[in-house]
Amino acid sequence: MRTLALLVLLLGLPCVAANAQESDAPEGAIVDSVEMSGFSPYSLSPGLQKEMDTLVGAPLRRERLNELVSRIEGEQPEMVAAVRSVARPDGKAHVIFLVARISDDTDLSENINARYIVESVDLEGPVSDISQQLRDDLQKLVGKRLDTEEAEQLKERLENELPGRDVARRISKGSEAGRIRVVFEVVDEPWIRFAPTRSKLVYHSEQGWSGALDIPFSRSSSRHRFTAGFIFNDIDELIEEYSGFRLGFESRKIGTDKLGVRLDFARFNETWEDATLSALALNPTIPEPCRNRLTFEPTVTFAFTPSVRLTGGVSLSDMESLTHAPDSQKANAWVAGISADHTWRAQDGSASQSLEASYGLRAAVEGLDSDLFYKRHLGRASYRYTQGHSEALASISLGYISGQPPLFERFSLGNSTTLRGFDKYDIAPTGGERMFHSSIEYRYHHVGVFFDTGSVWDRDVDAKIRYSTGFGVNNDNFFLLLGFPLNGDDATPIFMTGVRF
Amino acid sequence: MSLLALAVVLSPMALAAQTLTVNAAGDALRVQARNFSFLEGPVLTRLKEGRSVRIDFELTVLSKPEGPTVKQAVQGFTVSFDLWEERFAVSRTGSPPRSISHLRANDAESWCLENLTMSISSLGIGRDTPFWLRLVYRVQDLAPVAEDPGQRYTLQALIDRLSRRREEADLAKSVSGGPFRLP
Repeated sequence: MRTLALLVLLLGLPCVAANAQESDAPEGAIVDSVEMSGFSPYSLSPGLQKEMDTLVGAPLRRERLNELVSRIEGEQPEMVAAVRSVARPDGKAHVIFLVARISDDTDLSENINARYIVESVDLEGPVSDISQQLRDDLQKLVGKRLDTEEAEQLKERLENELPGRDVARRISKGSEAGRIRVVFEVVDEPWIRFAPTRSKLVYHSEQGWSGALDIPFSRSSSRHRFTAGFIFNDIDELIEEYSGFRLGFESRKIGTDKLGVRLDFARFNETWEDATLSALALNPTIPEPCRNRLTFEPTVTFAFTPSVRLTGGVSLSDMESLTHAPDSQKANAWVAGISADHTWRAQDGSASQSLEASYGLRAAVEGLDSDLFYKRHLGRASYRYTQGHSEALASISLGYISGQPPLFERFSLGNSTTLRGFDKYDIAPTGGERMFHSSIEYRYHHVGVFFDTGSVWDRDVDAKIRYSTGFGVNNDNFFLLLGFPLNGDDATPIFMTGVRF
Repeated sequence: MSLLALAVVLSPMALAAQTLTVNAAGDALRVQARNFSFLEGPVLTRLKEGRSVRIDFELTVLSKPEGPTVKQAVQGFTVSFDLWEERFAVSRTGSPPRSISHLRANDAESWCLENLTMSISSLGIGRDTPFWLRLVYRVQDLAPVAEDPGQRYTLQALIDRLSRRREEADLAKSVSGGPFRLP
């Protein structure tokens, strides 16, 4: 290890020498002694030993020293060598060859170029959003050996400051031997992004388990993605409890970065809670439940900017009757939506704010061979502020349906993401045509408290606003929460846990 | 090469089609493969950009051409390209670590195979028992995928890696040969 430490010192010579009391010997100084450390010179070939002996008494020439370093490494390929010349008080030079085993150094084992001194660090691509602090930290790589781990951490920080963009790190030769340039290359974010996967394993103490697995087949830099999804059982999302599969194909570049297409196909088998069936029996205006549902939804997305996108398409659903199979109903609707999102970051990288907003319309109207006619409006907005380990989140959703929507289109609240603390089958077992929900949450180190407010109701019925609060661990991927209804008929707390990925 | 190659026993029938040869040094079974280049194409491009590449090798001894596995050895290597020397460096992962530099491409490829060994005594195969070999390499982590640091250990990241690996199937190669017999 002593040898390795010396080698590190030597390899880091340019930045060390400036502060060292022993200065570099000048070019042309007479070499009075040659030393080899970390390796026996007798293991070298006689010719190379002789070459090294001839250095003594001759003027110092760095080019020749570097040639000898290369020859040492050529003869001993498992070793790495470096050379330093130190000025003696009498003006002569002392030359030290230091040799160390590559496998003794993690960085060198990982990348042999870690032996070289970083001459410059450059950023390429759309990098205007990078904080000054990160820029300064990147420049701290200069003048030292390439520290692979540190460079990777900086790359990750870049990715963190530039969400949605790809960052690659490469190295190229510097302006002189033994120097390298490190380049962080940022690839602009796509104008149209792939839809987030909806995999989850969720437990709700009143509703039980829900599980779904989406498997995307693509790399993030690809234009196209195919996703196969398996829903083992989902009682968390809709009023209906369903299982089945979904297949999706997405292309985020059709001729231009601004145009994308998405095709979704799904087949679900439905089961219904007794509370829902009982409520349906009392309200014949709601369409009957189905046994299974087949949906095909092709959509096209146009991006005005990387942050603003417009989507249009059609959703074709065929629902087999639960009680009169094989009779079925069609719910065919035009689909339109607009979404926007943006993230702002503080110059020093200490804080960030992100805002997302969307509006979606699903309109089952004449001309699409639909048996049910309705218009469903849904608007959402969410805001997140992050500073250090603290996060503040706020969101609001508003929904309105006119006409006669199928059950899967009706709004529901009271699951693992909305009105946490309530059971949706206690609030509205058949869902509702109107919906309002808001949530505020504060997290510190992913441990947080929340306050949810919301109501779901039908036309001609007064809305009852419900409140719930709770606490727990929530880091977006994993959550473990305890929710309390504040004005429910039952004060029993709800336990929720799971992963979403 | 300092190893003592004891013998190579090849079936005459298979000789023409084989690209694999085996030799033994003491108790170590080693394999050589003709036309088994892997420092080329996108791997080489990445290396010449100063990045390193992790390559995993898998050597499997089979009792029949497609038959049950007798024994399998897996060894990973990290390859990098010295930008100034314009030579390859290879490090064997695991214990004990071993590294070498200043190699040309084909020498670096050969060095990987030389360091992929299997204990003959652990095979439990008699001298007259034929066996077959399958050699596979897989290049790992080639796609420059941006990951959210907060999601590095999530199932999403795991699925991303799995799907990425599937897409990189063209960065894997397999060669089989046999029958061989122990010397």
